[in-house]
Amino acid sequence: MNRRDFFKIVATTGATAAAAGCQQATEQILPLVVPNDNLVPGVAAWFATVCRECPAGCGVLARNREGRVVKLEGNAEHPVNRGALCARGQAALQGLYHPDRVAGPHRREGEAWRAVGWDDALKLFGERLGALKGKPRALAVVSQLESGSLGALLDRWSQALGGRPRVTLEPFGYEAIRSGNQLTFGRDAVPYHAFEAAEVVLSFGADFLETWVSNVQAARGFARMHAFREGKTGTFIHVEPRQSLTASSADEWVRNAPGTEAAVALAVLRLMLEGGLTADKRYGDAVAAVDPKRVAEESGVPLETLKHVAKTFASARPGLAVGGGVAVTGSQATALQVAVNLLNAAAGNVGKTVRFGPDHAYGRVTPYAEVARLVQAMAGGEVDVLVLGAGVNPAFTLPGGLKVAEAIRKVPFVVSFSNLPDETTALAHLVLPDTHWLESWGDYAPHDGVLGLMQPTMQPIREARPMGDVLLEVGRSVLGSEEGKGPLPWSTFEQYLRAAWEPIVKGQWEAALHQGGVWRDVPPAAVTVAAKLDGVDAGPAKLEGPADGLALLAYPSLRFYDGRGATRAWLQEVPDPMTQIAWDPWVEINAQTATRLGIRQGDVVRVTSPHGAVELPAYLSPSLHPGAVAVPIGHRYAPYHVRLKYVPPAQGAGNPMALLPAGADAASGAPAFLSVRVALVKTGARRPPAVLQATHDQDHREIARHVDLTRARDDALRGTRKEHDHPSMYSEQRYRGYRWGMTVDVDACIGCQACAVACQAENNVPVVGKAEASYGRQLHWLRLERWAEGDPAHPQNLFLPMFCQHCEVAPCEPVCPVFAAYRTDEGLNGQVYNRCVGTRYCGNNCPYHVRRFNWWNYDFPAPLEIQLNPDVTVRQLGVMEKCTMCVQRIVAGKDRAREDKRAVRDGDIVTACQQTCPTQAITFGNLKDEGSTVSTQSHSPRAYHVLDELGTRPGVTYLSKVVRAHEPSPAAGKGHA
Amino acid sequence: MSAPEPRPIAGGAATAEPTFADVNRDVLATLRPPGNLYFAWMSLVGLLLACGFLAWAYQIFYGMGAAGKRTPQMWAMYITTFVFWIGIGHAGTLISAVLYLFRARWRTSIYRAAEAMTIFAVLTAGLFPLIHAGRMWFAYFLLPYPNQRYLWPNFKSPLVWDVFAISTYLSISTVFFIVGLVPDIAALRDASTGWRRRIYAMLALGWEGSDRQWRHYRRAYGLFAALATPLVLSVHSVVSWDFAMALVPGWHSTLFAPFFVDGAIFSGFAMVLVLVLPMRHFFRLHAYIRDRHLDAMAKLILVTGLVLTYFYICELFTSWYSGDHFEKASLFWRLTGTYWWALGTMYFCNCVAPLILFWRKARTNSVILYIVSVLVLIGMWFERFNIIVPSLAHDFYPATWGIYVPTITDSTIIVGSFAWFFLLFLGFIKVMPSLSIVEVKETIPPPMKDARHAGLH
Repeated sequence: MNRRDFFKIVATTGATAAAAGCQQATEQILPLVVPNDNLVPGVAAWFATVCRECPAGCGVLARNREGRVVKLEGNAEHPVNRGALCARGQAALQGLYHPDRVAGPHRREGEAWRAVGWDDALKLFGERLGALKGKPRALAVVSQLESGSLGALLDRWSQALGGRPRVTLEPFGYEAIRSGNQLTFGRDAVPYHAFEAAEVVLSFGADFLETWVSNVQAARGFARMHAFREGKTGTFIHVEPRQSLTASSADEWVRNAPGTEAAVALAVLRLMLEGGLTADKRYGDAVAAVDPKRVAEESGVPLETLKHVAKTFASARPGLAVGGGVAVTGSQATALQVAVNLLNAAAGNVGKTVRFGPDHAYGRVTPYAEVARLVQAMAGGEVDVLVLGAGVNPAFTLPGGLKVAEAIRKVPFVVSFSNLPDETTALAHLVLPDTHWLESWGDYAPHDGVLGLMQPTMQPIREARPMGDVLLEVGRSVLGSEEGKGPLPWSTFEQYLRAAWEPIVKGQWEAALHQGGVWRDVPPAAVTVAAKLDGVDAGPAKLEGPADGLALLAYPSLRFYDGRGATRAWLQEVPDPMTQIAWDPWVEINAQTATRLGIRQGDVVRVTSPHGAVELPAYLSPSLHPGAVAVPIGHRYAPYHVRLKYVPPAQGAGNPMALLPAGADAASGAPAFLSVRVALVKTGARRPPAVLQATHDQDHREIARHVDLTRARDDALRGTRKEHDHPSMYSEQRYRGYRWGMTVDVDACIGCQACAVACQAENNVPVVGKAEASYGRQLHWLRLERWAEGDPAHPQNLFLPMFCQHCEVAPCEPVCPVFAAYRTDEGLNGQVYNRCVGTRYCGNNCPYHVRRFNWWNYDFPAPLEIQLNPDVTVRQLGVMEKCTMCVQRIVAGKDRAREDKRAVRDGDIVTACQQTCPTQAITFGNLKDEGSTVSTQSHSPRAYHVLDELGTRPGVTYLSKVVRAHEPSPAAGKGHA
Repeated sequence: MSAPEPRPIAGGAATAEPTFADVNRDVLATLRPPGNLYFAWMSLVGLLLACGFLAWAYQIFYGMGAAGKRTPQMWAMYITTFVFWIGIGHAGTLISAVLYLFRARWRTSIYRAAEAMTIFAVLTAGLFPLIHAGRMWFAYFLLPYPNQRYLWPNFKSPLVWDVFAISTYLSISTVFFIVGLVPDIAALRDASTGWRRRIYAMLALGWEGSDRQWRHYRRAYGLFAALATPLVLSVHSVVSWDFAMALVPGWHSTLFAPFFVDGAIFSGFAMVLVLVLPMRHFFRLHAYIRDRHLDAMAKLILVTGLVLTYFYICELFTSWYSGDHFEKASLFWRLTGTYWWALGTMYFCNCVAPLILFWRKARTNSVILYIVSVLVLIGMWFERFNIIVPSLAHDFYPATWGIYVPTITDSTIIVGSFAWFFLLFLGFIKVMPSLSIVEVKETIPPPMKDARHAGLH
């Protein structure tokens, strides 16, 4: 099959006659002697598919230029994400074009890998499967959450070959939510949480703006519920021992002692009942034994705060309580979920903001306890062949106490379909690289009712075959059946998929492909609280380890999830928004605790639990609970094995899972993430992490501003805005056509870094590595800053995306000796790379320091260079660069408008950062158009310019954060260490 | 050369007035084939220069990242050293032109060396814009050359002003230097033979010493002196505007032009002493470079040093009195932050060390003068460092504050620039008279057959 055919098949308007899938395709170079009708050079084709970087299943549009995907954007029609995408989704391209992608099957011989042909590889696989005949349950299949056809096919395949039931391995499977719902409502499901419909959100450790369940969906909903709009806003209270990114967006962050979330939730419920704040008295029994005073003592949360939380939550019409982020999931996981359910039930939220019916696909994850049983079976020699799907990495993501690697070593034959080397493929005997999800057919239903359809968006960049195709072929050869017959009659997975979808699409296949799937309304399922509810155990979570140790909070990384994202250099270099650390993992220690232990920032600390030890550099945090340490999960290895210069792999790894026990929460079978106390010992070595923001203290410079809610409401009514007046001897600049401008709503920004990664993807921004990044040489055009106001132990965090401000009186322009920096007549600060000599005067004179210099010639290791956006220049050594407001998109938008013989309107031009923002905090538009959103927002009473006293007159306007003045919350939590 | 064996009148006979013949002989003696010590110095300087060029080649090939610059210090040691050398280049013109117009006679024995120093210092400084530019191969974009695209440099940019100021300064001071050399080269021509004679003959431009020639020479010299005088003030003022025109706290100040000019004279005289004292010692020129010359220069160093101290106080005061948050924060950080030691070094070398020159004996003691001069040079290098690096380190935007750390590459290039300067100067003193034969003769009585007759003139 050639390229022309490929495009005929998959173009969104395309033909139906897909004959042979694309697995035989080899990489071809582009030249087309006879141009393809569907392929116009310079014009992008867009393909709808589903993001598989995590189980949230957001809809994606892949922008294909000349046969290769160069950018991902959220699918605006997809119900989960409505056009937005998180940082991990944006960075999926780096997995697609990863330099380490396995090309063709590889067989392990001793420690070395040898490339083998597909025929030989499949023959070997078939032989090993054939040898299983008569040995039931000796075949095990482990895959990531596949809620669609591939999952069904895997089940069928495994069953046909006499294997064990398939294990769906998701390290963050929310088993406790399911068991809690089973206990409370009699429904084993993860429901839809309607953040957008809530007035008050009360979260017990649920990091829903980072990874919890479906973070983009939650962030969108949260922004609708919480972002200040014309005086209206919601309230968000977050209970967690660590100030996470999610906690930073809370109006009130309540710091509790680790493991006391269930107790706090029950105490809140009890106070609601006691205070007569809820009419529903049925839950009295469940909280009869709860003593709020004792809870206040144990959790370190003052009783006043508990009362206040109860009152606020009860007053909401409706509210929403969520709970059980990974970091707080331990032996009390199910108790916490039950407590959360009771809170929701008591406040009358069930059915309003907690909606059963469109249940999340997480309900199909194999509970960890069963995964553990499989591992034990492997260790006991019961498994002869282990088949690992793409996206699973049990040797890394399962608790160290389970000793997974040793168990896998006991399996005589391990086949991995991973297309990137990881800790588990290192243990495999045969690697059969699966196609990347952007190269594959497939489907994924994140919710009941949302059936996302996946299509190949380009030909495979490396030799790979879809897992489904390989299994069908091998399965048939083992069973001795022919194509079209037997239990596995389909020739390819694509054929299977089409067959499975026929009843759904009923002939409207192209429409479904075009839309990215099929959405259906799912009737809400009515649930009732179980009649008999025993008292819920409100004790603190049980922690193993030394009594004087510190509770280990292992939490999923915003950037790497369970480690799947760690191979992406973009995600490594974009800093964690809270700590602003790039590249290295770290252990977060309370500053006072660290002082007590004599630990300084950057000291390498040995973190020891009863189950293992890891060595990590220390990061001192003034806000973390003194009795806890926090380690992000997911930091794996340096991005490319072929290029170690970014950061040595040994430094890039530090897996807190190694510290965790094998045991599970008895009630739910969930892994116990919060279950150990650890001891910290200084190793004497130093490895300061690369912290990209010099300080979080604004030094009264009002870079990120805030107003309190009363004031903001008052101003919103009156519509006043005071502005610095800067008299000038020069005449005002006139804009004949457009004047482009942007606004950033600091109140809506949650600091998720999606914009920074989208910008990097769109604008060919290179990656520089740890050493260079920590030395102020990172090249990000857009950086996300965290500014902390108030008490350092309990700060109000303000997130500020900072990029070129496109000043009208730009300090960078007059100092450039060659006019490389100049003012365009549409209000941009242009930068002519060809003219730039590299005096760097502009870089000194820019008060925002958003201009980036090419200190070296940066490279894009093959095949990453294919991802480069052909519309954007790749800059040479020695020139300055900076945000262009996506000038290539402006040009394209103006062209489209001109074709329609009209002026550019709102929405014609969307910058990359704006496009991907889950909370729509960024707006771009024409400032001369009085009706445009950007104009309206620029005149908002909350509008301000960063460093406006310098008189630079930026084209980027920020809207102050609205701080909800709550009853003063005393610095929470003495806690118990 | 067929000059007779020198009879140095220096040393013990320092009080004896030299005669015209002595002058000719002693000055031409400085051009005698050099000894081992000279070659040892030349080898060392040549080696350092070679290292500097290698480092520069490395930086051009791999990129500006080889120098330790970063955000926020987009400028660092290169501009520091550039401004330092421009400052050094000041004293020469001051001595040759301004002091000439003021008829300060003590300038005669040192002005040749000072002028040479000026030109070499400007030649050294002129390398730095190239070394500093990210794409030095396009540095010609800064020149207003005619081109098809009608692209001109940006005349608003102080860097373009620099280009004009420095090229003007270099050309005027070079012409002034060459004009002053003509009669001396003629003397050289007359004293040499063979190919040297032919070269000197060409350079002497047919000088015969006729009345007409002398009259024209005097006119021209006076004219160039008048032309060069405003440049003494303008060059360093323009260089100071590189900083004063920028927004950066610690740079944005109207104080900068006089502050820089004074500092330049201060460091320029120190450099003259650093060059002239060894010359006097090794060439035994004590009869020409006398203690009163040293005393006069030492006084100038003292005065400019005191003025500089006054400017430092002004700088501190205006920062504090402005009430500007950014200025105050920047100043406080410069005093207490990472680079406090650089500021301390500067204050000690520029404000405290020269105070010893209040003591008359120190002003004529070569050793003390030499030490003070070296300290002043160090102090003035750090002055520029303190303006550039710590100010940028702690400017408007706290998120990007950062510390600059030098690398081997940029340090080697800086050392190489000193080697380049000394290579030029060491070469010069062996091919050209480093004392002005003509002007030294002016200060001593003309030779007469009858000594009494001479006295009557």
